[in-house]
Amino acid sequence: MSTVRHIAVQVVRKGWFMALLILAWWFITAVGWVDPYKLPSPGDVLSTLGTLFADRALLSDLGATLLRLVEGWVIGVAAGVFLGLLTGGVGLLEDGVRPVIAGLQSVPTIAFLPLAILWFGFNGTAVLVITAFGTFKPMALATYAAMHQVPPTLRMAGRAMGARGLFFQRTLVFPAIVPSLVTGLKMSWSFAWRALMAAEIVVTGAQGLGSVLELGREIGAIDVVMAVILVILVVGILFEQLFFARLERWVNRRWGLEGAR
Amino acid sequence: MAPALRIAAVCKTYERSDHVALEPTSFEVAAEEFVSLVGPSGCGKSTLLAMIAGLLAPDSGSIEALGQPVTGPGDGRAIVFQDAALFPWLTLRHNVEYGLRAQGMRRAERRERVENALRMVHLDHVGEKHPYELSGGMRQRAAIARALVLEPKILLMDEPFSALDAQTRTLLQDELQRIWLDTRPAVVFVTHNLMEAAFLSDTTYLFSSSPGRIVRRYDVAVERPRDESDPALVEIRQDMLDRLRSEVDDAARRHIDAAGVSAL
Repeated sequence: MSTVRHIAVQVVRKGWFMALLILAWWFITAVGWVDPYKLPSPGDVLSTLGTLFADRALLSDLGATLLRLVEGWVIGVAAGVFLGLLTGGVGLLEDGVRPVIAGLQSVPTIAFLPLAILWFGFNGTAVLVITAFGTFKPMALATYAAMHQVPPTLRMAGRAMGARGLFFQRTLVFPAIVPSLVTGLKMSWSFAWRALMAAEIVVTGAQGLGSVLELGREIGAIDVVMAVILVILVVGILFEQLFFARLERWVNRRWGLEGAR
Repeated sequence: MAPALRIAAVCKTYERSDHVALEPTSFEVAAEEFVSLVGPSGCGKSTLLAMIAGLLAPDSGSIEALGQPVTGPGDGRAIVFQDAALFPWLTLRHNVEYGLRAQGMRRAERRERVENALRMVHLDHVGEKHPYELSGGMRQRAAIARALVLEPKILLMDEPFSALDAQTRTLLQDELQRIWLDTRPAVVFVTHNLMEAAFLSDTTYLFSSSPGRIVRRYDVAVERPRDESDPALVEIRQDMLDRLRSEVDDAARRHIDAAGVSAL
């Protein structure tokens, strides 16, 4: 009973402002203060969303986007962790490679899109490459930074017990950086998501939510544009809550980083 | 019998500050001997232990362990740190097993050694738990098991009990005494607690700071198992305390003299 009450309290505490916003949106459109071609009502957006899903076109766009997101992210994460580990572990690479990655990270990923289009064509491949690249940079930097935050006493303890070389890296350094890697995964995910959306809006040849957004703009269908934004929002929240929040909680518990000891 | 450790004119200066951490220092530790290094913080005792462990190189002088010059960690030496330094992602059992894995021992052989080590520190019932699920005292016992499992000829301990509350500390001192009587490695035990040093040791070296050096050696000829209220131990502790006080007074006087000279 008290948990039901607890949940109700949480919903009210965290949801009141959102509810207020939607109410204001509905009110503005209902009294006719704005042109419905500039701002459709919440009900119109919802029904458009329903139609878009009903004829399955949006579903396959959503599928294409998610597939690209996961592919690009996995490739970027693998490359980022690999290079981050190398950079953090080998002195010469650390000196030479790290400044280059840090420099690249200061350039918004989307600035590389024209280059990607020239190299790979005006198609899904260019979008995928940009997504992977957007993931790779923060992941490499996070991995590298994590390796420098391994507590010195853990390193000393490992060395004193005779751990060396690859065994040392594999059984001590790598597990020690896992909590920071999870933070890096989360961060690189949001970078990937941004890069992907920007690229899809430009590269309209490729199927995906971004090209539906752009199509909606072209034909002036503002309800479609807003419906797709809603989908993008929900996808972001679902991944954050269902995947990353759980992963983080599990790792923090397992690594003893949680609250009171 | 050859000494377990031979420390000859070992000296360390920290480059950045030019601070002499340790003046040339020499002593030997016999096999099966329990030696304590005691003194205020900054007296170089932990630095010396790190050098014996092979985690830090001396500026000059030499360290021999079991007749071999020390060039790195390992080779019959194991160390216990002040914060247990257990790996948080591993269970206690796997923590204790780690050193054996690092040495490439086979699984079947490892299991028995790990069980014995855990039993020795009375942690065999919590082997599947993770370090964060345990109290500070249990974590420190696990750290001791992790060292013991390597069956070291030389056990190095860097203020292993100083982060614990007084009761736990007393319990663990008794436990360490018992374990040492069972297994008899040579021990170098670093502490800033004078009674702890006297209680545990055959020999105690009293250090003073700035620069770090040995000011006196005490041979503690008291039968084991011992009791902290033993008058002989209390007397040694009192003597160490008096000596440290006069060292501090001397240092203060030198400091004032130096200031006076520079003021003229």
